[in-house]
Amino acid sequence: MTHTSSSGTVRKGGTAKRNGRGLTGLLLVSAPVALLGWLIIYPIFNAVARTLFTAGDEGLHFSLDTYQRFFTDGYALNNLWLTLWVTAVCAACLMAICLPLALYLRFAKSRVAAVVQGLALFPMFVPSVILAYALIRTIGPNGGVDLVLNAVGLPKINSPYLTPWGPVIGLVWDNIPLTTLMLVAGLGGVSDNAVEAARDAGARRFALLRYIILPQIGNAMLVVLSFTVLGIFSAFTLPYVLGPASPEMMGPFMQRTFSQLSDSRMAVTQAVITFAICACFGAFYVRSIAKNREARR
Amino acid sequence: MTTADLTLAARQEPTVPTRKTKRIDWLGLAITLALGIVVVVPLVVVAIWAFAEVWRYPSILPQEFGLRFWEATLSRPDVWQAMSLSIRLSLTVTLLSAVICLPAAYAFARLDFPGRNLLFLSFLASHAFPKFGLLVAIASIFLNLGLVSTFWGVVLIQLVGTLMMMIWIPVAAFQNVDRAMEEAARDAGAGPLRVFWSVSLPQAAPTIGAAVLLSFVGTFYETEGAWLIGAPEIRTMPVLMITFINNQIVVQYGAVLSVLLWVPSFFALMFSRRLVGSSSFAKGFGV
Repeated sequence: MTHTSSSGTVRKGGTAKRNGRGLTGLLLVSAPVALLGWLIIYPIFNAVARTLFTAGDEGLHFSLDTYQRFFTDGYALNNLWLTLWVTAVCAACLMAICLPLALYLRFAKSRVAAVVQGLALFPMFVPSVILAYALIRTIGPNGGVDLVLNAVGLPKINSPYLTPWGPVIGLVWDNIPLTTLMLVAGLGGVSDNAVEAARDAGARRFALLRYIILPQIGNAMLVVLSFTVLGIFSAFTLPYVLGPASPEMMGPFMQRTFSQLSDSRMAVTQAVITFAICACFGAFYVRSIAKNREARR
Repeated sequence: MTTADLTLAARQEPTVPTRKTKRIDWLGLAITLALGIVVVVPLVVVAIWAFAEVWRYPSILPQEFGLRFWEATLSRPDVWQAMSLSIRLSLTVTLLSAVICLPAAYAFARLDFPGRNLLFLSFLASHAFPKFGLLVAIASIFLNLGLVSTFWGVVLIQLVGTLMMMIWIPVAAFQNVDRAMEEAARDAGAGPLRVFWSVSLPQAAPTIGAAVLLSFVGTFYETEGAWLIGAPEIRTMPVLMITFINNQIVVQYGAVLSVLLWVPSFFALMFSRRLVGSSSFAKGFGV
């Protein structure tokens, strides 16, 4: 009610006032928009242009040399393959852990649920550097887990530190809070009534999940998946600290190419390749937020 | 068995919980236990290391406890330099971010201007690019501008990282301000600035405060941009921490730094849990 009346007064103020307001609005958003343009949109186009065109004797000409180098270099391909593998394994683990967790948080009514929520959100407040260090001390060689196993007379674990499983464990740990939060938000759309009705009609738990809950959160799950893939695919700190040195994941690979080999054109080529691989997830993500905003308006 | 396996194993039971009952929530307790082990134990191990003076392998607890390594860590000049640099960086970035983003957030929430939806969407869409690739693309531009390895180069890159959080959380805050109260103030003769200052802002302030705090803490811990753009001159706390981990100088240095570094995030946890737990937070990510 109040909303319509306030916008009504604006309309009554006439076009001059509306133009003034429009200008104020544009002015207020200009600084962050300029920053967004300069440091996100421009670098993306610049990166694509820089890697596709090289400066020759007679001006710029089209060339795919760095891409050719990337896709014929076994080491680079191994790195890309490892990154894809880690991303896929992480996404699968996150779904397996966070979906049950989110289902529990959505439907549980006991006081324990608040504790579970607190614990599930906790990793959000632990910076990845500290996490990396903590994981080395816990599951690294002679770490906390080894100490406990040794004390009860069991053999040591095969430490995942410096293997591809190191970053997998770290990234899953790090992404549990956001994945769970987003899934819980998605489950908000599933009504208690529908669940109760299905249960009264004799639906088993599995049937409930399969026919009532999953169809309604399909879209939310895809958004979560896209978001997670985008985050994990270009992770740097955890793969750098916990992962193997060779082959390495794309994050550390790009960083090394840029800083140590000082080959910024090749580093940017690698970046563009990650953009291209993530493009469909990114597009899906954008489409979904656009649709959501449309629906709420 | 790794920690991740433990979590998986603990979740094998069916997970659609029962209706409202007074029964003990066994499933909840099982999940609490599993999460507790996976989430808390690594941090406890670090905390023990920070206070251990001697801890040789098969012993389950350190042979000697003490504060010797706190003194050793805190007497290192590089630790103090990194700490002061990190605090200066985070303050600068958060302040700049608040100055440019909060007015923009107000405009997005309450004013009508051409291109509003498209521009707002483009902020949300900036998440659709893999972050590290984007950083590399920015770094190659900064290289030509001479911004690599400078304070302001790192400020700029970290500023971009805060844009999203500092816009969409305050937008939600301004949208939730009670319009009836604003109307009432206006009817009582208050000017627009007065209405904003005395009515709108106080209502939005707690949420905005949480966003500012999250930005500060997020910037303090930001590692990728600082590492890529700042190296080798600009060494923030997280960057120093990575160096300590890689060089494996003294185990306790890293442990002491971890405990120290965790203090700010503890405050963030205290003050912003309600915001983070709310559904509007997750909605910002497009669910």
